[in-house]
Amino acid sequence: MSAGRHSPTPLTIVSAATPDDSHQAGDGADWSKLMARSQDGDRVAYRALLEGVTPYIQSLAARCFKQPTDAEDAVQDVLLTIHMVRHAYDPSRPFGPWLAAIANRRIIDRLRRDTRRKAREVELSIDHETFADASTNLHTEKPDEVALAQAIERLPPDQRQTIRMLKLNEMSLKEAAAASGRSMPALKVATHRAIKSLRRMLKQHSDST
Amino acid sequence: MTRTPDLIDALVETATPVRRLRVPIVRAGHWLAFAAIVLGLIAIAHGVRPDFSDRVQQPLFVLGMLGALATSILAAVASFRLSLPDSSRLWAVLPLPALALWVATIGYGCLTDWVSLDSDGVHMGEAIRCFATLLMTSIPLSIAMLVMLRYAALLRPLEVSIVGGLAVAAVTAFALSLFHGLDATVMILVWNLGTAALIATLGSLFGRSMLTWMASHFTTLPR
Repeated sequence: MSAGRHSPTPLTIVSAATPDDSHQAGDGADWSKLMARSQDGDRVAYRALLEGVTPYIQSLAARCFKQPTDAEDAVQDVLLTIHMVRHAYDPSRPFGPWLAAIANRRIIDRLRRDTRRKAREVELSIDHETFADASTNLHTEKPDEVALAQAIERLPPDQRQTIRMLKLNEMSLKEAAAASGRSMPALKVATHRAIKSLRRMLKQHSDST
Repeated sequence: MTRTPDLIDALVETATPVRRLRVPIVRAGHWLAFAAIVLGLIAIAHGVRPDFSDRVQQPLFVLGMLGALATSILAAVASFRLSLPDSSRLWAVLPLPALALWVATIGYGCLTDWVSLDSDGVHMGEAIRCFATLLMTSIPLSIAMLVMLRYAALLRPLEVSIVGGLAVAAVTAFALSLFHGLDATVMILVWNLGTAALIATLGSLFGRSMLTWMASHFTTLPR
């Protein structure tokens, strides 16, 4: 009735997934008896039944789900369904088709749900930016330390020394004046000129790259 | 995530003896018996339509009634049958011949009696009583069917809802013809087919979620 609505690939796989002859002829008859006893409350029979059908359901699920966890979820879904509708099994009818119908139905339902979810949701990766504008993502860019170091090396000796003392070694003007033997106004002027030169050199560097 | 062996342990732990479902035809019979009781109670409270003895002389009326009745019976049998996982989907077509007869009778009556529409139209009071009958019939029957078929939520919710809704709709239409003298053909069409379409649509729209709700509230699950 609703066969035309879902994607053909999983359906083809699922519709081909009916229990094979060995299950129907051998295990199927045993399963039928086990289920009849389970309905009467025989827990040993019920455990034997559930453990017996699990590999068969796992083989069905493995054909339809790529992820082992998805397949395992589907298997558990089928087992829960069997548990909930076990009173609806008529022991005079074969167990194989009953089990196959439930398993196929639950697997198709899960596949449909997965397809719907994938159509709605997009997985985020780390490449996704918060905003499209480049300036909003500046914090992700690393400062070009190599270029800065090279620029400092190219400064005149007095400016280079001033920058090293005041900016890199974080000395105070007083300390720098004492260490270099130069006056504080001279250091201020040298710093100002050095920063101006650095700015110009770094701009040239970024323009050239 | 629960491991499958752990789940099996939990399921075995909660495996109490269960009462097997009776064969579908017996269960459909129970539901139809309940429908008969509902209709009987309404008949006692309300009485059949005043011109019932005259109307049963008319083949078209009788045919329409029989069509609705047959549709309800066959749709009930089909929905109980469809609710079992290993039964064929072809059971869904079982009520179609009766449905065709029912719809054809109404349609034919509509064509031949079109001009006989009463110039006074239908009085509001009668229409409201009709609506009350509609609710009194369809609500308890829908609830009964939802409870009886709750386990189908996990298996074939859509098909079971549609066919089950058709069964309820046909009983409701039968009740309306039995109790209310709305013979203006347009009204017959609206009441019968409109009701059927409405109930079947509601069944297909909300049947799945209603069945799931019923299943979750009236079915024991391992905690």
